[in-house]
Amino acid sequence: MILLENVTKSYRTRLALRGISAFIERGEFVFLTGPSGAGKSTLLRLLYRAEVPDSGRIVVSGQDLAAMRRRDVPFFRRRLGVVFQDFKLLRRRTVGENITFVLSLLNLPDKEQERRAYLALRHMGLQHRLSAYPEELSGGEQQRVATARALVQQPDLILADEPTGNLDPERSHELLELFKTINYQGTTVLVATHDRSLIEAHPARTLVLEKGQIVQDGWALGD
Amino acid sequence: MRHGAREVRRQLRESGATGLVAVLLVAVATTWGGALWLVRGWVADTLLARGRPASVVAAVRSAEAAAMVCNALTGSFPGVRCSASRPEDTKEELARWFPELSGVLLGLDAASFPSLLHAEVPVAEAARVSGWLRARGEVTLVENSRDWQGRLENALSSALLIGFTLTVALLAGCGVVVLLVVRLLVLEHSDEIAIMRLIGAREREIRLPYLACGALLGLVGGTLGVALLFAISFVLKSHGIAIRGVTPLVTVAPLLGATVGALGATLGLASLPEEP
Repeated sequence: MILLENVTKSYRTRLALRGISAFIERGEFVFLTGPSGAGKSTLLRLLYRAEVPDSGRIVVSGQDLAAMRRRDVPFFRRRLGVVFQDFKLLRRRTVGENITFVLSLLNLPDKEQERRAYLALRHMGLQHRLSAYPEELSGGEQQRVATARALVQQPDLILADEPTGNLDPERSHELLELFKTINYQGTTVLVATHDRSLIEAHPARTLVLEKGQIVQDGWALGD
Repeated sequence: MRHGAREVRRQLRESGATGLVAVLLVAVATTWGGALWLVRGWVADTLLARGRPASVVAAVRSAEAAAMVCNALTGSFPGVRCSASRPEDTKEELARWFPELSGVLLGLDAASFPSLLHAEVPVAEAARVSGWLRARGEVTLVENSRDWQGRLENALSSALLIGFTLTVALLAGCGVVVLLVVRLLVLEHSDEIAIMRLIGAREREIRLPYLACGALLGLVGGTLGVALLFAISFVLKSHGIAIRGVTPLVTVAPLLGATVGALGATLGLASLPEEP
């Protein structure tokens, strides 16, 4: 599902990722962890092709991202569900419109868009906020809307960048359970988090990044 | 489809007062341009009607000479109708034309006025008849309606050129306003556009609502312009001036407005940064 081969990415003089290699199989649930600045977000940005690596190869769902033509990028992204650290909700649109926007890109009929948006929000316990604007929601609610938006198109791969950063512990565990459920149904899930307690509570394969390198890849977190 | 319409409505709403300025500019430009076009048609149909016989007027030294020249003219040009008038007739006719001066004019000596010769000439022969009259020693002055029409045509062409240049300038101004509207909207929505790209929107899906917004502003302005033109032609008709040619403008003006709007929006969208 995801193949990283000797991937390097730098920003001016700072080296964010140093020749990392990894393979994530279809249907896997993987945590990506490490301290702030370790390169977690950079790696995710490379995976949803918001950036291209300086060198190395990234293959997602059989597509080489570095070689991907610009016009094919939107179609690639439509098969991903990305939960962003800063939510990235469309602030001039209601909660419902934020969700139906993604579905409108798939050319679904309006009624179907509305039905799916309602179901996705109900799944997140936010069906009553359908007509609210993002600024009217709490941080946790915004995160749940962002998650609903990522899940509504039933993606092959979910990339989540610190999805529990704005949630209380109870909600965080609920969200992780949701990701696990989706994973059981066959969707590959990659969650970037620095919250070690979350990883300990939901054991899964964990890639530990430090200073742009994978220092650990396994089921148990070292000290 | 409904989503697209919603997006366009949103852009239109957010274009606000500046968008309204663009609409008004197109309305003024199309009304002005359309009115010029109609005036041009009206002048061509009435004042410059080519099929109507030309009039030639000549001043002759005496009434007797005028009658003699008239006879000679109809002898040489059988298709010409000619009449001669005495100085007294000229004085009375001038007094009728300028009633406020009639007291002065009628008090003047008849010898102060020329004897006139009026000829109605087929258009094709107007120049030859004028030349024939100028060659006669008894004739002191010849004026030909075709010459006047030529002068009028030249003056009208210059006025229309200036008028249409102003129309083009107004339309260009509208294009610039739409460009600014779209540029401002894009600037204001830059975060949102970035998010749309991240969740899989294509460039076409991002740009189309802005483009449609620009085109719609122009279209509304053009339609408003046509409505104004209809109102003007209605008012003129009620005053006995029949104007033809408004109907073709029903299509042309909105299309022109939409094209200008779309062009402005396209230029405005050039400021949209591309993805890496």
